[in-house]
Amino acid sequence: MEIIRLENVTKDYTIGEVTTRALDDVSLQFANGEFTTLVGPSGSGKTTLLQIMGCLDLPDKGKVFIENRDVTGLKKNARADLRKSMIGFIFQFFALVPVLSAYENVELPLILNNVGEKERKERVMYLLDAVGLGHRVDHRPDQLSGGEQQRVAIARALVTDPLIVLADEPTANLDTENGKQAMDIMLKLNEETGTAFVFATHDPRVVDYARRVVQMHDGTIANANAALDILQTAD
Amino acid sequence: MAIKTFWTIGFRDLVRNRRRTIATIVAVALGLMVIMLMAGMLKGMVDSGLRDNIRIYTGHLQLRDESYEVEKMSLLARDLLEQPQALAAQIEMLPETKSAAPVLWASTVLSTARESAGLQIWGIDPASPFHEPLRLGLVEGSYLTADSRGEILLGKRLADEIDISVGQRVSLATGDSNGAIGDALFTVAGIFNTGFASYDQSSVIMPIAQAQSLTRTGDRASTIIVTLHDRDDTAAVAAQLAAPGYTILTWEDLNQLLLTLMETGGAFYYIIYIIVILVVAVLIANTLLMSVFERTREMGILASLGMKQRQIMLMVLLEAVILSLIGIAIGLVLGLGSVAYLSSVGFNLGEDTAGLMENMAMGSRLYPAMAPDQFLILSLLMLAIVTLVSVYPAWVAARMEPVEALHAF
Repeated sequence: MEIIRLENVTKDYTIGEVTTRALDDVSLQFANGEFTTLVGPSGSGKTTLLQIMGCLDLPDKGKVFIENRDVTGLKKNARADLRKSMIGFIFQFFALVPVLSAYENVELPLILNNVGEKERKERVMYLLDAVGLGHRVDHRPDQLSGGEQQRVAIARALVTDPLIVLADEPTANLDTENGKQAMDIMLKLNEETGTAFVFATHDPRVVDYARRVVQMHDGTIANANAALDILQTAD
Repeated sequence: MAIKTFWTIGFRDLVRNRRRTIATIVAVALGLMVIMLMAGMLKGMVDSGLRDNIRIYTGHLQLRDESYEVEKMSLLARDLLEQPQALAAQIEMLPETKSAAPVLWASTVLSTARESAGLQIWGIDPASPFHEPLRLGLVEGSYLTADSRGEILLGKRLADEIDISVGQRVSLATGDSNGAIGDALFTVAGIFNTGFASYDQSSVIMPIAQAQSLTRTGDRASTIIVTLHDRDDTAAVAAQLAAPGYTILTWEDLNQLLLTLMETGGAFYYIIYIIVILVVAVLIANTLLMSVFERTREMGILASLGMKQRQIMLMVLLEAVILSLIGIAIGLVLGLGSVAYLSSVGFNLGEDTAGLMENMAMGSRLYPAMAPDQFLILSLLMLAIVTLVSVYPAWVAARMEPVEALHAF
């Protein structure tokens, strides 16, 4: 079942007097339960595509549909409402709130969704156990390793049972072991919950996990279903 | 539920930046302490000025004939009170009354060999408790009795100005009830200092019987000055004394100028309070703005999680509120402590400053007073203005685009 559809999406960024086309007439669909990577050199538009899919930004042209609903014209607060219940994010730099504990970081999206305390506790502990951090719930980010922080971020991204998790270079700041651990957890949760995962990555280890690879180049889709063995991720 | 989380994030962020937080709290506390001290000093000044005006000059109430005009100091029989001693005795029977003192006022010109001065005669009952400040204020010579004849008391400021000493003979040229001017010689029996500059400078004190004889007014008085045990009983006693043919003036009527001056002064002080509070508020807003810019990435994270603009604004405003409340609490303790301390030891103004306040019996020491209602208003004003000024950094945080904020990575 299709969950996100982009139709002829174009996005330009202007910095000073220079305008750069980050996405050029991109059309793409994502289905339930996908485990997909976006690959391409730096500047190919991977992060921009994730941001538009995640309603963090709006396209200059074209449309974005989430569960067949046109979200292109939504105002900022409406997009925030959509994100808090339907979309999870994982960032390269973990992006945890530094003054909140692991538990509180994972709990935050549920609080924003007005979930009751009992249900919040159950859900948070389930996910923290699932990522192997049930014993570190009271630790703040500065008391956790990089790998542990990313696992907290994974738990937070999934806590609202979103449609899709968008991960921008999730293993870039992790060593081999921690990167593998993070990907194993995300694959397992993808299989268990059916939540779609879309990764923007240069990391071949991430690409190895993908069931689908979208190849991007200069803001366009070079191949929406690239075969794994012919992929090159060059800068 | 979300508000509790915002409080948590705001409070912990303040703890994380301890030095900056402490510096800001100290600024709020000191700012509030300073304006509380100012408010306490103003109240002390108003309270003591009013208290001394009532104690020495106006009393709580005055009973006069309805046709009497104090500016003219009429000596005509129709403008004066008849049988003032009997009236005073009746008033003193009221349980609220502390004293009722008949007084006769008249204009006079005092002359010595070298100087002359236009003054006001106060014909008094020297034994009346109302004139106790005169007796206690005597700095040279001797006090008067009801039977004293040919003797007067003068204020020290006047005596110094026209170089008069105890025992000296002076001439008083005074009009009488027939409009004739008569000269009489008097001996200065004593010199007093009440601290009330205008009173000490412009008054000639003599027994009322002497004044009545001088002005040929018989057994009449210009006014009866009434003091009460409790100022709050003024309206009730005024109602009891009201009768046709009489005018009753309360201490508020008699101290209009002072009260108006104090109100104007109070309004001016509020401008200063607001300036002090604005300086503190701008400091807090600047602190918050720095915090917001340092936490740009965090704002982007929160927005990406679905936190709305108004929620981000609320979170930042709550930080301002936390800073203010802690600062205000400490400021209240410091302010109350300072006012309490100074209200007992006083604050030395210096003789020159005290001398400027001619219409108030103010010494060179000012004793601030507790003004709980003012302190509460100032605290709330501090909180309100700080919160208002903090809307700007909160708005800056809220209007950050999540994409730009996240790219602050």
